[in-house]
Amino acid sequence: MKVEELLGFFDRRLCIFDLKGRTKDEALAEIVDRLAPGDKGSNRKIILEMLRNREALGSTAVGKGVAFPHGRSLAVSRLMAIFARSSRGVDFDSIDGEPTHLFFVLLAPPQDRANQYLPALGRIIETVRDEALRERLMAVTDFDGFAAVMREGKVS
Amino acid sequence: MLSQQETILVALQDLDLMLKEAADRQDQFEKLGFDVSGVQELRKARSELVEHLDKANLQHYERMVQRYGRAVMPVTGDVCLGCFSKLPTQYRSSLYEGKVRMCQSCGRMLYYP
Repeated sequence: MKVEELLGFFDRRLCIFDLKGRTKDEALAEIVDRLAPGDKGSNRKIILEMLRNREALGSTAVGKGVAFPHGRSLAVSRLMAIFARSSRGVDFDSIDGEPTHLFFVLLAPPQDRANQYLPALGRIIETVRDEALRERLMAVTDFDGFAAVMREGKVS
Repeated sequence: MLSQQETILVALQDLDLMLKEAADRQDQFEKLGFDVSGVQELRKARSELVEHLDKANLQHYERMVQRYGRAVMPVTGDVCLGCFSKLPTQYRSSLYEGKVRMCQSCGRMLYYP
């Protein structure tokens, strides 16, 4: 998957550069709130429930300060990605026990006819394996900065 | 806004899909570095969720899963995306508020985004 295709799944309005939540529940709720502003109703509840269940299956915080909350829901109509960053860090049950700072959330509808969900997830994971890139992502302040860093990512 | 029962049905289908993917694509997820060992936790969450479903809705859900794989289908432009049949426009009226709507052609439960 080409980086431009991947960046096309990110909506600049949904990215968060100053995530305030300190716990897993707070961080997930803050991200989902951005997805459905003012929606205290069913879709917000459904997506949040799905992400919490995914965490119950096994933490998506894979260490080195990064987490990839992801899943499929009927409340999602197209593949979408959200970037969120916490300077202070979130207790996200990371496998290395360290706080999580960088969040790449990937949401997909139940049917993903173009089969983009797992390749997109794989591409993000591969890109952020680079420590220098992760450090640069910690310093970006807007979506254009985020996109520029992602474009420089090396994929084997 | 979905009714409480519709919300539970959608959440249940999401959960069932997650359980299926955890089993079918375990290798792929593990290759990406994810732990998907908490299947028992998900089964527990499923049991708790279905406790809040009316018995008739749960039975219909299970029947539709047996028949089609997925019981709840989204609606676009008053068309069921399971069988592409036209749905009654009254389904959008307040008469159906709080009720679980079903496709009159295929029987699947409907999700109005």
